[in-house]
Amino acid sequence: MSDHYLEDQGEKSVVIVMTSGPSTAHRCATPFYLGALLSSMDAEVKIFCTMEAVRLMQVGVAENLSAMAGGKRIIDFIRDAKNAGVEIHVCRPALPGYEIEADNLIEEVDAVASAGDLADLILSVDRLLFF
Amino acid sequence: MECNGCEFRAELYYDRECQIWVRREGDGTLTVGMTDISQSIAGKILHVRVRRPGTRRPVGKPVATIESGKWAGPVPNVFDCVIDLANEDVLEDPNLLNIEPYEAWIARVRPVASVDVALEKLSTGDAAFELYRQRCLRDDIHCERGMR
Repeated sequence: MSDHYLEDQGEKSVVIVMTSGPSTAHRCATPFYLGALLSSMDAEVKIFCTMEAVRLMQVGVAENLSAMAGGKRIIDFIRDAKNAGVEIHVCRPALPGYEIEADNLIEEVDAVASAGDLADLILSVDRLLFF
Repeated sequence: MECNGCEFRAELYYDRECQIWVRREGDGTLTVGMTDISQSIAGKILHVRVRRPGTRRPVGKPVATIESGKWAGPVPNVFDCVIDLANEDVLEDPNLLNIEPYEAWIARVRPVASVDVALEKLSTGDAAFELYRQRCLRDDIHCERGMR
């Protein structure tokens, strides 16, 4: 039964780079679910949304999107992650390609960041995941 | 007592969001479990993992993690404590949390300060029920119990 117990592994940092968006809705819940779980295991988790994932951060998109028909909305997965302590960053250079203004993002976004910010995270983080 | 079908037990202690309940034990420990609200939001719980007994958990560091098909997250912790014991029955059969959330406790913890100091951060009785009722109404939470 040892795997029922969580070992103390120190406070690791994890960055999840999220690139999936509404065109592949079935890929949009898991990164936030996993982020919530990692955060509740003491990891410092940042989800960096770039490419099509920036659309999930646009007001009105995640509120009307589910990973499966009739399933839980993506916005609720995002809020679960936030409640667990995950930080959400949005890639500023990706916004113009989707005609999104930085002032039209959901309130769950913690920061609008540069590509350089992502590069710094990649070079400093303990674990890096791409979705 | 209940609100929107969510059972509330006035003798227990609750955090402000009524995610967890806490019960005072006679040996200086506190028992921690999930409220009916929390088990309903989570849906059928598939995995529970508790910090290993002996581990210190400061304020804000979860006692355990919960995974269901649609929800993953912490069992929050609002006071500095050391894990004393996990409920092996729940670890083996997490669905117990959905079936009987107030009997199926998750962990027993020992506050670093006194029990009274730990409980000062929680609400009980009528004051707790008001928080519980407000949460149910604010978030439109309707509770359902799991089946064996």
